[in-house]
Amino acid sequence: MTAFMGYVRPNGDVGIRNHLLILSGTVYANGVVERVASSIQGAVPITHANGRCQVAPDLRVTRRFLAGTAMNPNVAAVVIIDHFQEQGMTAEDLADDIDPTGKLIATVNIRGAGGFIGAVEKATRYAQDFARQISMYAREAAPMSKILFGTECGTSDTTSGLASNPANGIAGEILIAQGGRMLMAECTEWMGCENWLTEKASNPAVAEAIVAGVQHMERRALASGEDIRGSQPTGDNMAGGLTTIEEKSMGAVKKIGDSPIIEYLEVGEAPSQTEPGNYVMYGPGMGAESISSMAAAGCQVLTFCTGGGHTSNHPIMPTIKVTGNRQSYELMRDTVDVDVSGVFYDEITLAEAGQIVYDEVERVCSGYLTKSEALRDNNSFAIHRIGPSI
Amino acid sequence: MKKVFVVYSDDNVGTAVVESIRAGDAVRCNGERGDIQLTARDDIAYGHKIALTDIAKGGTVLKYGLSIGSATRDIQAGDHVHTHNVESNRGRGDLAKRDAVGAE
Repeated sequence: MTAFMGYVRPNGDVGIRNHLLILSGTVYANGVVERVASSIQGAVPITHANGRCQVAPDLRVTRRFLAGTAMNPNVAAVVIIDHFQEQGMTAEDLADDIDPTGKLIATVNIRGAGGFIGAVEKATRYAQDFARQISMYAREAAPMSKILFGTECGTSDTTSGLASNPANGIAGEILIAQGGRMLMAECTEWMGCENWLTEKASNPAVAEAIVAGVQHMERRALASGEDIRGSQPTGDNMAGGLTTIEEKSMGAVKKIGDSPIIEYLEVGEAPSQTEPGNYVMYGPGMGAESISSMAAAGCQVLTFCTGGGHTSNHPIMPTIKVTGNRQSYELMRDTVDVDVSGVFYDEITLAEAGQIVYDEVERVCSGYLTKSEALRDNNSFAIHRIGPSI
Repeated sequence: MKKVFVVYSDDNVGTAVVESIRAGDAVRCNGERGDIQLTARDDIAYGHKIALTDIAKGGTVLKYGLSIGSATRDIQAGDHVHTHNVESNRGRGDLAKRDAVGAE
Protein backbone atom coordinates (compact mmCIF):
# COMPACT_ATOMS: atom_id res chain seq x y z
CA MET A 1 0.00 0.00 0.00
CA THR A 2 1.61 3.22 -1.10
CA ALA A 3 0.82 6.68 0.14
CA PHE A 4 0.75 10.07 -1.48
CA MET A 5 1.00 13.52 0.02
CA GLY A 6 -2.34 15.28 -0.11
CA TYR A 7 -4.61 17.80 1.56
CA VAL A 8 -7.00 16.14 4.01
CA ARG A 9 -10.35 17.95 3.96
CA PRO A 10 -12.76 18.30 6.90
CA ASN A 11 -15.03 15.52 5.49
CA GLY A 12 -12.14 13.08 5.10
CA ASP A 13 -11.69 13.52 1.35
CA VAL A 14 -8.11 14.08 0.24
CA GLY A 15 -7.21 16.64 -2.40
CA ILE A 16 -4.09 16.58 -4.54
CA ARG A 17 -4.25 20.34 -5.08
CA ASN A 18 -5.26 23.20 -2.80
CA HIS A 19 -7.27 25.48 -5.05
CA LEU A 20 -9.23 28.62 -4.30
CA LEU A 21 -12.16 28.67 -6.70
CA ILE A 22 -13.89 31.81 -7.91
CA LEU A 23 -17.09 30.27 -9.20
CA SER A 24 -19.54 31.90 -11.55
CA GLY A 25 -23.15 30.96 -10.83
CA THR A 26 -24.34 32.34 -14.13
CA VAL A 27 -22.90 33.51 -17.44
CA TYR A 28 -23.65 37.09 -16.32
CA ALA A 29 -21.23 36.85 -13.39
CA ASN A 30 -18.27 35.79 -15.53
CA GLY A 31 -16.84 39.32 -15.77
CA VAL A 32 -16.73 39.77 -12.00
CA VAL A 33 -15.27 36.29 -11.56
CA GLU A 34 -12.44 36.96 -14.02
CA ARG A 35 -11.62 40.31 -12.39
CA VAL A 36 -11.52 38.88 -8.86
CA ALA A 37 -9.43 35.85 -9.86
CA SER A 38 -6.89 38.07 -11.62
CA SER A 39 -6.27 39.93 -8.34
CA ILE A 40 -5.65 36.94 -6.11
CA GLN A 41 -2.63 34.66 -6.11
CA GLY A 42 -3.50 31.14 -7.13
CA ALA A 43 -7.23 31.81 -7.56
CA VAL A 44 -8.88 29.72 -10.29
CA PRO A 45 -11.82 31.27 -12.15
CA ILE A 46 -14.62 28.96 -13.28
CA THR A 47 -16.72 30.63 -15.96
CA HIS A 48 -19.27 29.16 -18.35
CA ALA A 49 -22.24 29.98 -20.58
CA ASN A 50 -24.96 28.39 -18.45
CA GLY A 51 -27.15 29.03 -15.42
CA ARG A 52 -29.80 31.15 -17.10
CA CYS A 53 -32.86 30.41 -19.25
CA GLN A 54 -32.24 26.70 -19.21
CA VAL A 55 -34.91 24.01 -19.07
CA ALA A 56 -35.18 22.42 -15.63
CA PRO A 57 -33.29 19.17 -16.37
CA ASP A 58 -30.46 21.21 -17.87
CA LEU A 59 -30.38 23.57 -14.90
CA ARG A 60 -30.04 20.56 -12.61
CA VAL A 61 -27.06 19.33 -14.63
CA THR A 62 -25.51 22.81 -14.46
CA ARG A 63 -25.99 22.91 -10.69
CA ARG A 64 -24.47 19.44 -10.34
CA PHE A 65 -21.43 20.46 -12.41
CA LEU A 66 -20.86 23.76 -10.56
CA ALA A 67 -21.43 22.46 -7.04
CA GLY A 68 -19.59 19.24 -7.83
CA THR A 69 -16.55 21.13 -9.10
CA ALA A 70 -16.44 23.16 -5.88
CA MET A 71 -16.95 19.97 -3.81
CA ASN A 72 -14.01 18.28 -5.54
CA PRO A 73 -11.33 17.50 -2.91
CA ASN A 74 -8.80 19.56 -4.90
CA VAL A 75 -10.71 22.70 -3.91
CA ALA A 76 -10.01 24.20 -0.49
CA ALA A 77 -12.21 27.28 -0.64
CA VAL A 78 -14.77 28.83 -2.96
CA VAL A 79 -16.20 32.30 -3.59
CA ILE A 80 -19.46 32.04 -5.55
CA ILE A 81 -20.71 35.01 -7.54
CA ASP A 82 -24.17 35.27 -9.05
CA HIS A 83 -26.47 37.95 -10.32
CA PHE A 84 -30.02 36.96 -11.19
CA GLN A 85 -31.64 34.75 -8.61
CA GLU A 86 -32.45 31.87 -10.95
CA GLN A 87 -34.76 29.51 -9.10
CA GLY A 88 -32.86 26.50 -7.82
CA MET A 89 -29.59 27.92 -9.04
CA THR A 90 -28.63 30.80 -6.74
CA ALA A 91 -25.25 31.24 -5.10
CA GLU A 92 -26.93 30.19 -1.85
CA ASP A 93 -28.28 26.99 -3.46
CA LEU A 94 -24.77 26.13 -4.63
CA ALA A 95 -23.36 26.98 -1.19
CA ASP A 96 -25.93 24.62 0.40
CA ASP A 97 -24.75 21.81 -1.85
CA ILE A 98 -21.08 22.46 -1.10
CA ASP A 99 -21.48 23.10 2.64
CA PRO A 100 -21.38 19.44 3.85
CA THR A 101 -17.76 19.24 2.67
CA GLY A 102 -16.83 21.73 5.40
CA LYS A 103 -14.70 23.90 3.13
CA LEU A 104 -14.56 27.71 3.16
CA ILE A 105 -17.46 29.23 1.21
CA ALA A 106 -18.57 32.81 0.53
CA THR A 107 -21.31 34.11 -1.73
CA VAL A 108 -21.67 37.47 -3.46
CA ASN A 109 -24.68 38.70 -5.40
CA ILE A 110 -23.77 41.41 -7.90
CA ARG A 111 -27.02 43.34 -7.50
CA GLY A 112 -26.88 42.91 -3.72
CA ALA A 113 -23.30 44.26 -3.64
CA GLY A 114 -24.26 47.38 -5.57
CA GLY A 115 -23.13 46.35 -9.03
CA PHE A 116 -19.92 45.25 -10.67
CA ILE A 117 -17.52 47.39 -8.65
CA GLY A 118 -19.12 46.56 -5.32
CA ALA A 119 -19.21 42.84 -6.15
CA VAL A 120 -15.56 42.81 -7.21
CA GLU A 121 -14.58 44.54 -3.98
CA LYS A 122 -16.61 42.26 -1.73
CA ALA A 123 -15.54 39.07 -3.49
CA THR A 124 -11.89 40.12 -3.64
CA ARG A 125 -11.84 40.65 0.14
CA TYR A 126 -13.31 37.18 0.70
CA ALA A 127 -10.86 35.69 -1.77
CA GLN A 128 -7.85 37.41 -0.18
CA ASP A 129 -8.84 36.08 3.23
CA PHE A 130 -9.41 32.55 1.90
CA ALA A 131 -6.14 32.54 -0.08
CA ARG A 132 -4.21 33.33 3.09
CA GLN A 133 -6.10 30.82 5.23
CA ILE A 134 -5.61 27.92 2.81
CA SER A 135 -1.94 28.82 2.33
CA MET A 136 -1.44 27.35 5.81
CA TYR A 137 -2.89 23.96 4.80
CA ALA A 138 -0.10 21.39 4.50
CA ARG A 139 0.20 18.12 2.63
CA GLU A 140 0.16 14.97 4.71
CA ALA A 141 0.46 11.28 3.92
CA ALA A 142 -2.75 9.64 2.69
CA PRO A 143 -3.43 6.21 1.18
CA MET A 144 -3.96 5.87 -2.57
CA SER A 145 -7.35 4.33 -1.74
CA LYS A 146 -8.56 7.94 -1.38
CA ILE A 147 -8.03 8.54 -5.10
CA LEU A 148 -10.83 8.63 -7.64
CA PHE A 149 -8.91 8.37 -10.92
CA GLY A 150 -10.74 9.60 -14.02
CA THR A 151 -9.83 8.58 -17.52
CA GLU A 152 -10.60 9.96 -20.95
CA CYS A 153 -9.48 9.53 -24.54
CA GLY A 154 -9.52 12.05 -27.34
CA THR A 155 -8.01 12.66 -30.77
CA SER A 156 -7.58 8.90 -30.79
CA ASP A 157 -5.61 7.22 -33.52
CA THR A 158 -4.49 3.71 -34.30
CA THR A 159 -2.00 3.78 -31.42
CA SER A 160 -4.64 4.65 -28.80
CA GLY A 161 -6.37 1.30 -28.51
CA LEU A 162 -3.05 -0.53 -28.74
CA ALA A 163 -0.85 1.34 -26.29
CA SER A 164 -2.04 4.38 -24.32
CA ASN A 165 -5.53 3.05 -23.49
CA PRO A 166 -4.56 -0.48 -22.38
CA ALA A 167 -1.56 0.94 -20.48
CA ASN A 168 -4.03 3.20 -18.74
CA GLY A 169 -6.26 0.24 -17.89
CA ILE A 170 -3.27 -1.44 -16.29
CA ALA A 171 -2.49 1.72 -14.31
CA GLY A 172 -6.09 1.73 -13.09
CA GLU A 173 -5.78 -1.88 -11.92
CA ILE A 174 -2.65 -0.96 -9.94
CA LEU A 175 -4.64 1.79 -8.20
CA ILE A 176 -7.67 -0.45 -7.60
CA ALA A 177 -5.41 -3.11 -6.05
CA GLN A 178 -4.57 -0.47 -3.44
CA GLY A 179 -8.21 0.27 -2.74
CA GLY A 180 -8.68 3.12 -5.22
CA ARG A 181 -11.44 3.76 -7.74
CA MET A 182 -11.33 4.43 -11.45
CA LEU A 183 -13.98 6.34 -13.41
CA MET A 184 -14.68 6.18 -17.15
CA ALA A 185 -17.32 8.30 -18.92
CA GLU A 186 -17.99 8.80 -22.67
CA CYS A 187 -20.77 6.21 -22.99
CA THR A 188 -21.03 7.02 -26.70
CA GLU A 189 -17.88 4.98 -27.02
CA TRP A 190 -19.26 1.92 -25.24
CA MET A 191 -21.44 1.07 -28.22
CA GLY A 192 -20.46 -2.29 -29.60
CA CYS A 193 -18.85 -3.50 -26.41
CA GLU A 194 -21.69 -3.35 -23.91
CA ASN A 195 -21.18 -7.06 -23.26
CA TRP A 196 -17.54 -6.57 -22.31
CA LEU A 197 -18.71 -3.95 -19.80
CA THR A 198 -21.82 -5.71 -18.47
CA GLU A 199 -19.78 -8.86 -17.77
CA LYS A 200 -17.89 -6.76 -15.23
CA ALA A 201 -21.01 -5.26 -13.65
CA SER A 202 -21.14 -5.94 -9.93
CA ASN A 203 -24.92 -6.43 -10.05
CA PRO A 204 -27.72 -6.65 -12.66
CA ALA A 205 -28.88 -3.06 -12.07
CA VAL A 206 -25.47 -1.75 -13.10
CA ALA A 207 -25.51 -3.94 -16.21
CA GLU A 208 -29.00 -2.72 -17.18
CA ALA A 209 -27.99 0.91 -16.62
CA ILE A 210 -24.96 0.50 -18.89
CA VAL A 211 -27.09 -0.86 -21.74
CA ALA A 212 -29.79 1.78 -21.17
CA GLY A 213 -27.17 4.56 -21.12
CA VAL A 214 -25.79 3.57 -24.51
CA GLN A 215 -29.31 3.27 -25.95
CA HIS A 216 -30.23 6.69 -24.59
CA MET A 217 -27.17 8.32 -26.13
CA GLU A 218 -27.92 6.55 -29.39
CA ARG A 219 -31.52 7.83 -29.37
CA ARG A 220 -30.28 11.38 -28.73
CA ALA A 221 -28.01 11.07 -31.73
CA LEU A 222 -30.84 9.66 -33.84
CA ALA A 223 -33.15 12.52 -32.78
CA SER A 224 -30.60 14.95 -34.16
CA GLY A 225 -31.08 13.32 -37.57
CA GLU A 226 -27.75 11.55 -37.38
CA ASP A 227 -27.36 7.80 -37.15
CA ILE A 228 -24.14 7.28 -35.28
CA ARG A 229 -24.22 3.66 -36.35
CA GLY A 230 -23.79 4.77 -39.93
CA SER A 231 -21.02 7.19 -39.05
CA GLN A 232 -19.01 5.05 -36.66
CA PRO A 233 -16.25 4.33 -37.28
CA THR A 234 -15.83 7.71 -38.99
CA GLY A 235 -14.35 7.98 -42.46
CA ASP A 236 -10.97 8.98 -41.09
CA ASN A 237 -11.14 6.13 -38.57
CA MET A 238 -11.66 3.69 -41.45
CA ALA A 239 -8.91 5.25 -43.54
CA GLY A 240 -6.72 4.83 -40.47
CA GLY A 241 -7.49 1.12 -40.35
CA LEU A 242 -10.43 0.81 -37.91
CA THR A 243 -12.93 -1.61 -39.43
CA THR A 244 -15.97 -1.80 -37.14
CA ILE A 245 -17.63 0.07 -34.26
CA GLU A 246 -16.72 -2.87 -32.01
CA GLU A 247 -13.06 -2.34 -32.80
CA LYS A 248 -13.20 1.39 -32.18
CA SER A 249 -15.18 1.05 -28.95
CA MET A 250 -13.04 -1.79 -27.67
CA GLY A 251 -9.96 0.35 -28.08
CA ALA A 252 -11.69 3.12 -26.12
CA VAL A 253 -13.03 1.05 -23.21
CA LYS A 254 -9.65 -0.61 -22.71
CA LYS A 255 -8.90 2.55 -20.70
CA ILE A 256 -10.24 0.54 -17.78
CA GLY A 257 -9.03 -2.86 -16.69
CA ASP A 258 -10.83 -6.04 -15.68
CA SER A 259 -11.94 -5.11 -12.14
CA PRO A 260 -15.69 -5.13 -11.45
CA ILE A 261 -17.81 -2.11 -12.36
CA ILE A 262 -19.23 -1.06 -9.01
CA GLU A 263 -21.61 1.72 -9.95
CA TYR A 264 -23.19 3.50 -12.90
CA LEU A 265 -23.42 7.28 -12.52
CA GLU A 266 -25.39 10.03 -14.21
CA VAL A 267 -23.36 12.79 -15.85
CA GLY A 268 -21.45 14.75 -13.17
CA GLU A 269 -22.79 12.58 -10.34
CA ALA A 270 -20.44 11.60 -7.49
CA PRO A 271 -20.16 7.90 -6.63
CA SER A 272 -22.17 6.81 -3.59
CA GLN A 273 -19.89 3.79 -3.08
CA THR A 274 -16.31 3.67 -1.83
CA GLU A 275 -15.66 0.08 -2.87
CA PRO A 276 -12.47 -0.30 -4.94
CA GLY A 277 -13.09 -0.97 -8.62
CA ASN A 278 -14.29 0.64 -11.81
CA TYR A 279 -17.08 3.20 -12.02
CA VAL A 280 -18.76 4.29 -15.25
CA MET A 281 -20.66 7.47 -16.09
CA TYR A 282 -23.22 8.49 -18.69
CA GLY A 283 -21.96 11.35 -20.81
CA PRO A 284 -20.82 12.63 -24.17
CA GLY A 285 -17.61 11.93 -26.02
CA MET A 286 -16.92 15.69 -26.12
CA GLY A 287 -13.68 16.00 -24.18
CA ALA A 288 -14.13 19.19 -22.14
CA GLU A 289 -17.67 18.26 -21.04
CA SER A 290 -16.62 14.73 -20.29
CA ILE A 291 -13.61 15.57 -18.13
CA SER A 292 -15.59 18.33 -16.39
CA SER A 293 -18.26 15.74 -15.53
CA MET A 294 -15.57 13.58 -13.94
CA ALA A 295 -14.12 16.53 -11.99
CA ALA A 296 -17.66 17.30 -10.77
CA ALA A 297 -17.95 13.67 -9.66
CA GLY A 298 -14.88 14.18 -7.47
CA CYS A 299 -11.98 12.81 -9.53
CA GLN A 300 -8.78 14.31 -8.16
CA VAL A 301 -6.68 13.27 -11.16
CA LEU A 302 -7.32 12.30 -14.77
CA THR A 303 -5.36 10.63 -17.54
CA PHE A 304 -6.19 11.81 -21.04
CA CYS A 305 -5.10 9.24 -23.61
CA THR A 306 -4.47 10.90 -26.93
CA GLY A 307 -3.04 9.68 -30.20
CA GLY A 308 -2.88 13.09 -31.79
CA GLY A 309 -1.65 15.04 -28.75
CA HIS A 310 -4.66 16.72 -27.14
CA THR A 311 -4.31 20.07 -25.30
CA SER A 312 -7.16 19.45 -22.85
CA ASN A 313 -6.52 20.42 -19.23
CA HIS A 314 -9.08 20.89 -16.48
CA PRO A 315 -8.69 23.94 -14.20
CA ILE A 316 -8.75 21.99 -10.91
CA MET A 317 -8.19 18.36 -11.88
CA PRO A 318 -4.64 17.73 -13.12
CA THR A 319 -4.97 16.22 -16.59
CA ILE A 320 -2.11 13.90 -17.51
CA LYS A 321 -1.81 13.42 -21.25
CA VAL A 322 -0.62 9.99 -22.36
CA THR A 323 0.22 9.07 -25.94
CA GLY A 324 1.33 5.97 -27.80
CA ASN A 325 2.25 8.00 -30.86
CA ARG A 326 5.91 8.99 -30.78
CA GLN A 327 5.49 11.65 -33.45
CA SER A 328 2.69 13.31 -31.47
CA TYR A 329 4.86 13.26 -28.37
CA GLU A 330 7.71 14.94 -30.22
CA LEU A 331 5.39 17.57 -31.73
CA MET A 332 3.53 18.22 -28.47
CA ARG A 333 6.39 17.75 -26.03
CA ASP A 334 5.33 20.79 -23.95
CA THR A 335 1.80 19.43 -23.59
CA VAL A 336 1.83 15.61 -23.57
CA ASP A 337 3.17 14.21 -20.30
CA VAL A 338 3.78 10.53 -20.92
CA ASP A 339 5.02 8.66 -24.01
CA VAL A 340 4.31 4.92 -24.05
CA SER A 341 5.11 4.40 -27.74
CA GLY A 342 8.06 2.27 -26.63
CA VAL A 343 5.70 -0.73 -26.63
CA PHE A 344 5.83 -0.67 -30.43
CA TYR A 345 9.63 -0.64 -30.60
CA ASP A 346 10.36 -3.45 -28.13
CA GLU A 347 11.60 -0.88 -25.60
CA ILE A 348 8.96 -1.55 -22.97
CA THR A 349 6.17 -4.07 -22.42
CA LEU A 350 2.55 -3.06 -22.06
CA ALA A 351 2.76 -3.94 -18.36
CA GLU A 352 5.73 -1.61 -18.02
CA ALA A 353 3.81 1.10 -19.89
CA GLY A 354 1.01 0.68 -17.35
CA GLN A 355 3.44 1.08 -14.50
CA ILE A 356 4.90 4.21 -16.13
CA VAL A 357 1.40 5.73 -16.34
CA TYR A 358 0.63 4.75 -12.76
CA ASP A 359 3.91 6.20 -11.46
CA GLU A 360 3.13 9.50 -13.18
CA VAL A 361 -0.35 9.54 -11.61
CA GLU A 362 1.12 8.91 -8.16
CA ARG A 363 3.69 11.70 -8.58
CA VAL A 364 1.01 14.14 -9.73
CA CYS A 365 -1.12 13.17 -6.73
CA SER A 366 1.75 14.25 -4.46
CA GLY A 367 2.03 17.62 -6.14
CA TYR A 368 4.12 17.16 -9.29
CA LEU A 369 2.75 19.64 -11.85
CA THR A 370 1.51 18.35 -15.20
CA LYS A 371 2.93 20.14 -18.23
CA SER A 372 -0.35 21.98 -18.83
CA GLU A 373 -0.66 22.95 -15.17
CA ALA A 374 2.79 24.53 -15.30
CA LEU A 375 1.61 26.52 -18.32
CA ARG A 376 -1.72 27.40 -16.63
CA ASP A 377 -3.48 26.18 -19.78
CA ASN A 378 -6.81 25.71 -18.02
CA ASN A 379 -8.91 25.29 -21.14
CA SER A 380 -11.34 22.49 -20.34
CA PHE A 381 -14.22 23.46 -18.11
CA ALA A 382 -17.50 22.86 -19.95
CA ILE A 383 -20.99 21.88 -18.85
CA HIS A 384 -22.90 19.17 -20.67
CA ARG A 385 -26.21 20.39 -22.10
CA ILE A 386 -29.19 18.21 -22.70
CA GLY A 387 -31.77 20.77 -23.82
CA PRO A 388 -32.16 24.10 -25.60
CA SER A 389 -31.89 27.60 -24.17
CA ILE A 390 -35.36 29.05 -23.68
CA MET B 1 11.53 -8.23 -41.48
CA LYS B 2 8.55 -5.91 -40.89
CA LYS B 3 6.79 -5.88 -37.54
CA VAL B 4 3.10 -5.91 -36.64
CA PHE B 5 1.68 -5.29 -33.19
CA VAL B 6 -0.57 -7.83 -31.49
CA VAL B 7 -2.41 -6.67 -28.38
CA TYR B 8 -3.53 -9.94 -26.78
CA SER B 9 -2.22 -13.43 -27.32
CA ASP B 10 -5.62 -14.75 -28.53
CA ASP B 11 -5.82 -12.25 -31.38
CA ASN B 12 -5.91 -13.46 -34.98
CA VAL B 13 -5.03 -10.04 -36.43
CA GLY B 14 -2.08 -7.73 -35.88
CA THR B 15 -1.74 -4.01 -36.64
CA ALA B 16 0.93 -2.35 -38.75
CA VAL B 17 1.78 0.36 -36.28
CA VAL B 18 5.55 0.59 -36.59
CA GLU B 19 5.75 0.79 -40.36
CA SER B 20 3.71 0.13 -43.50
CA ILE B 21 3.99 -3.31 -45.07
CA ARG B 22 4.15 -4.27 -48.75
CA ALA B 23 2.79 -7.48 -50.25
CA GLY B 24 5.54 -10.08 -50.13
CA ASP B 25 7.23 -8.61 -47.06
CA ALA B 26 8.25 -11.02 -44.33
CA VAL B 27 6.35 -10.09 -41.15
CA ARG B 28 6.91 -10.85 -37.49
CA CYS B 29 4.92 -10.06 -34.35
CA ASN B 30 5.78 -8.53 -31.03
CA GLY B 31 5.75 -9.91 -27.52
CA GLU B 32 4.14 -13.27 -26.77
CA ARG B 33 3.42 -13.82 -30.46
CA GLY B 34 7.06 -13.42 -31.43
CA ASP B 35 7.00 -17.01 -32.74
CA ILE B 36 4.62 -16.10 -35.58
CA GLN B 37 6.27 -15.34 -38.88
CA LEU B 38 4.37 -14.94 -42.10
CA THR B 39 4.44 -13.32 -45.49
CA ALA B 40 2.14 -10.41 -46.25
CA ARG B 41 -0.21 -11.19 -49.17
CA ASP B 42 -1.42 -7.58 -49.50
CA ASP B 43 -0.09 -4.11 -48.84
CA ILE B 44 -0.90 -3.19 -45.23
CA ALA B 45 -0.96 0.56 -44.65
CA TYR B 46 0.09 2.08 -41.32
CA GLY B 47 -2.68 1.46 -38.79
CA HIS B 48 -4.27 -1.37 -40.79
CA LYS B 49 -4.59 -5.03 -39.85
CA ILE B 50 -3.10 -8.25 -41.18
CA ALA B 51 -4.48 -11.76 -40.57
CA LEU B 52 -2.11 -13.85 -38.46
CA THR B 53 -4.00 -17.10 -39.15
CA ASP B 54 -6.54 -18.32 -41.67
CA ILE B 55 -10.06 -17.16 -40.71
CA ALA B 56 -12.93 -19.02 -42.39
CA LYS B 57 -15.96 -17.13 -43.73
CA GLY B 58 -18.23 -16.41 -40.74
CA GLY B 59 -15.33 -16.80 -38.33
CA THR B 60 -14.66 -14.32 -35.55
CA VAL B 61 -12.01 -11.68 -35.98
CA LEU B 62 -10.25 -11.16 -32.66
CA LYS B 63 -8.44 -8.04 -31.51
CA TYR B 64 -7.99 -7.15 -27.84
CA GLY B 65 -8.86 -10.83 -27.33
CA LEU B 66 -12.44 -9.91 -28.27
CA SER B 67 -14.64 -10.07 -31.35
CA ILE B 68 -14.42 -7.02 -33.58
CA GLY B 69 -16.66 -8.62 -36.23
CA SER B 70 -17.05 -11.60 -38.55
CA ALA B 71 -15.25 -12.59 -41.73
CA THR B 72 -17.46 -12.10 -44.79
CA ARG B 73 -15.22 -14.34 -46.88
CA ASP B 74 -12.38 -16.77 -46.26
CA ILE B 75 -9.35 -14.86 -45.06
CA GLN B 76 -5.83 -16.28 -45.38
CA ALA B 77 -2.92 -15.58 -43.08
CA GLY B 78 -1.14 -12.52 -44.45
CA ASP B 79 -4.28 -10.92 -45.95
CA HIS B 80 -5.26 -7.32 -45.31
CA VAL B 81 -8.22 -7.42 -42.87
CA HIS B 82 -10.65 -4.54 -43.21
CA THR B 83 -14.15 -3.58 -44.35
CA HIS B 84 -13.84 -5.61 -47.58
CA ASN B 85 -13.68 -8.91 -45.66
CA VAL B 86 -15.07 -8.13 -42.18
CA GLU B 87 -18.46 -6.89 -41.03
CA SER B 88 -19.70 -5.55 -37.75
CA ASN B 89 -22.08 -7.63 -35.65
CA ARG B 90 -23.30 -4.62 -33.70
CA GLY B 91 -25.62 -1.69 -34.39
CA ARG B 92 -26.91 -3.55 -37.46
CA GLY B 93 -30.22 -1.82 -38.09
CA ASP B 94 -30.19 -3.33 -41.58
CA LEU B 95 -30.11 -6.88 -40.18
CA ALA B 96 -32.83 -6.12 -37.63
CA LYS B 97 -35.02 -4.81 -40.47
CA ARG B 98 -34.34 -7.89 -42.63
CA ASP B 99 -35.14 -10.22 -39.73
CA ALA B 100 -38.36 -8.33 -39.02
CA VAL B 101 -39.45 -8.63 -42.66
CA GLY B 102 -38.57 -12.33 -42.66
CA ALA B 103 -40.70 -12.89 -39.57
CA GLU B 104 -43.84 -11.50 -41.17
